[in-house]
Amino acid sequence: MPLIISASPHSNSRFNTPFLMRQVIIALLPATFACVFFSKYHALFLIANCITSAVLTEIIILKIRKKPIVANDFSAVVTGLLLALILPPTTTWYAAWLGSIFAIFIGKHLFGGIGFNIFNPALLGRAFLMAAYPKMLTTYIQPFSVDTISGATPLALKKFSHIATPTLKLFLGNVSGSLGETSAICLIVGGLYLLIRKIADWRIPLSLLSTIIFISAITYIFKPETGSVFFHLFSGGLLLGAFFMATDPVTTPVTKTGRYVFGVGCAMLIMVIRYFPGLPEGVMYSILFMNALVPLINKYTRPKRFA
Amino acid sequence: MLKLQEHKEPQHNLPCESFLNPERLCLPLSQHTGKPSLVCVKPQDVVEQGQVIATEDGHISSRLHSPKKAKIVSIDDWFHPVLKRAKCIITEPFGDEEHKFTPKSKVDNLNKETLLKMIKDCGIVGMGGAAFPTHVKLSPPKKIETLIINGCECEPYLASDYRLMVENLDAIFKGIEIVCKIIEPKNVIFAVEENKPEAIKKLHLAVSLKKYNLPKLSLAILKTAYPQGGEKQLIYSLTKRKVPSGGLPLDVSCLVHNIGTFFAIYEAIYLDKPLIERVVTFAGDALVSPKNIRLKIGTTLRELFDKKILEFKTEPSKIICGGPMMGIALESLEYPILKANGGFLFLNKIKTCEENTCIRCARCVDACPLNLLPLEYAKRVKRDEYNKLGELNIKDCIECGCCSYTCPAKIPLVHYIKIGKKYASNN
Repeated sequence: MPLIISASPHSNSRFNTPFLMRQVIIALLPATFACVFFSKYHALFLIANCITSAVLTEIIILKIRKKPIVANDFSAVVTGLLLALILPPTTTWYAAWLGSIFAIFIGKHLFGGIGFNIFNPALLGRAFLMAAYPKMLTTYIQPFSVDTISGATPLALKKFSHIATPTLKLFLGNVSGSLGETSAICLIVGGLYLLIRKIADWRIPLSLLSTIIFISAITYIFKPETGSVFFHLFSGGLLLGAFFMATDPVTTPVTKTGRYVFGVGCAMLIMVIRYFPGLPEGVMYSILFMNALVPLINKYTRPKRFA
Repeated sequence: MLKLQEHKEPQHNLPCESFLNPERLCLPLSQHTGKPSLVCVKPQDVVEQGQVIATEDGHISSRLHSPKKAKIVSIDDWFHPVLKRAKCIITEPFGDEEHKFTPKSKVDNLNKETLLKMIKDCGIVGMGGAAFPTHVKLSPPKKIETLIINGCECEPYLASDYRLMVENLDAIFKGIEIVCKIIEPKNVIFAVEENKPEAIKKLHLAVSLKKYNLPKLSLAILKTAYPQGGEKQLIYSLTKRKVPSGGLPLDVSCLVHNIGTFFAIYEAIYLDKPLIERVVTFAGDALVSPKNIRLKIGTTLRELFDKKILEFKTEPSKIICGGPMMGIALESLEYPILKANGGFLFLNKIKTCEENTCIRCARCVDACPLNLLPLEYAKRVKRDEYNKLGELNIKDCIECGCCSYTCPAKIPLVHYIKIGKKYASNN
C-alpha cells in the first residue's frame, strides 16, 4: 500500500494560479466585447496582435531560461489582453508587438518572471510605447468610425477645450479612448465579478474609487469646471485601472493596511495629474509609481500579530 | 477564518459502536505533552485491567494504565504518529471479561485535593489533540475567571466530540461540575459550532433545566469556521480577549478544555475508571463506511481492518491521524490509537499539486487567524534566511493550515513554516 506522506494540511482550495488568470480573462470579456462593438476590426486586430505577441514572447523566454513552459498559466494572455485594452484603437501592429515584447521581457522576465516583477507588465508596455510613439499613443478615433476620424478623449476635451461629455455616453462607452477603457458599465460588471468571486481583493478598488469620489466631489463644490464625480469615475482609464491593474496581486502590497494605502495613493496621484500637469490622464503613471512603492508600503504596514 | 467543506456527514449521525477486545495493544510511553512515562512493569508480567503500567515522571507527565487484563509482551520501539518511533509497551490481552465499573452516586464529599489526585492517578490528558496533562492544567497558579468547554470540533470529517455530546451529555456536565469544584470559575461557557444541531438541542435543554451545580453557565453557538476551535481563536470569539504571544489562556484568566476531557474526568471520578478508552472517528472516501468507535487506547489500525471492523472500499493513497487540516500523514497501518487521537482519515482521491511560484496574492495573509505573513516565511526559508524569522513572529504560528489551504500556487506554507520555526529557535 503506497501511501503519500506530506505535511499538513491535506486539503486544498480549488483556486490555483491558472484558474485565477482565466477568471480575470472572463471578467475582461464584457469590456472586450464593448471595444469590438465600438472599434470593430481595429479592436480585433489589436487584441489578436497583443495576445499572440505576448504569448510567443513568454514561450520563447521560458525556453531560453530553461523553465517549464506552463502553457495553461494564462498570465501572458492576461498581460497581452490588458495591454491591448489600454492602447488606442489605431495602434499599429509593430507597436503592439514591441509593447508586448517589452512588457513580457523587460517588465516581467528581467525581474525574475511571474511573481517577481515590480511593475505591472501591461502598464510598463504602454509606458514604453508612450515614450517610443508619443503621437500614435495620443491619437484617438471616434467610436464606430471605420475610416478613422480622429477624436479627443473626454478627459482631453475637458482639460484642453472645456467641453463636457454627457455622463450617459461615458457610462456606455460611446466615446473616444483606449480600446477597453471607454465603457464604464462593462468594466463595472467585470470588476464586480472579480470581487464577488473573490478573485481580486476588494480593498484596493474600494479605497481607490472612494478617494477619487471624495477628491472630485470636494473640488467640484468649489470649482465645478473641473468635472463632476461621475465624470471622473467613468472617464479615462480609471475603472480599468482600479479593477484590473491595481488589483494585480504581484505588484500590489500583501498587507491589508498596505492595500488601502496603495489605493488611496493611486487615487491621489491620478487626481493630481488630472487637475494640474499637461497630461489629460494619469492612471498609468500613478499605478506604476505606486508599484515602485510597494516594498516600502509592505515594510511599514506589517500587520499587528493577533495577541 | 475559513469556511471549509465540512464532510461531517454521515459520521455525525452514526452512533458509537464499540470494539473492546483487541488481540494486541501498543501503548507508547509518550502520549502526552511533557516527559514520557516511566515503565513499571516488565515483559511476561500479567497486569489487570486498569493497573498502572507506567508512572508519571515529574509534574508535567502522565500515567499509563493497562486497558485490558493482559500479558506484557515486550517494551520496544514502535510507530508513533508524532515521534515516528517511540518506546512502547506491547501487551497481549487475554480473557474477554471487562472490569465492572460501578457508578458512585455521591461524589460531593470529595474535596478539591482528592479530586485532583484522582484525575492525576487516572492518567487524564487533554483529549483535543495536544494531550497536555489535565491535572497540571487544573492547578493553575492564578485564579481562573472563565472556564470554556470546547465543543467546536472545527476540523472537517471528525465527529467523535459531537457523538460524545449527543450520547453522553449528562456525563459531560458531571465532569464540568467536578472541574468547577476544583478551579471555582466565575462563569462557564459551553461553546459549540452551529453545525451540530442535535447537540445544541440537548444543550439548550440541559441549560434550561438547571439541574447541575454550576456557576453562571452560558451556551455559545458559534458560526462554523476554521479554526474556531483553536484555543486563542475560541477565547477571542467568546470573550474578546487576546492571549499574549507565547502566553497561555491563563494570562487572560481563561481555561479551555475539550469535551472528551470532561467525559474522561467524569469516568475517573464517578467510575474510578482510568483513561483507557476513547471514541474515535474513522472516515474518508477509501472506507466502505465511516464509523465512530469506542476503542481501547493502544489498539492498532491494522487490527481494526484485520477484524473487519473497518473495510477498505479502495486502496487509500493517504492515511491521516487527525483531521485534514492539522493531521499527520501516516506511513502504514501499524500505528496505535493514542489518548488524544480523535479521528483517522483514509483518503483515496488526493490531488497532488505541484508547487508553483508565489504570485503574492496575499490570500495566506488574509486567511491567517494570527495576522502573520506566511508568504514571507516561505520566501525566507527557501533562501535559507532564518535570521529575520523571529522578528516576523514565526513562533506565533499555530500551524492551522489556513495559509496552505488557500494558496493558489499550492505552496506548502506550513511545511516551510515548520522548518523555519526549527531554525529560528536554534538562533
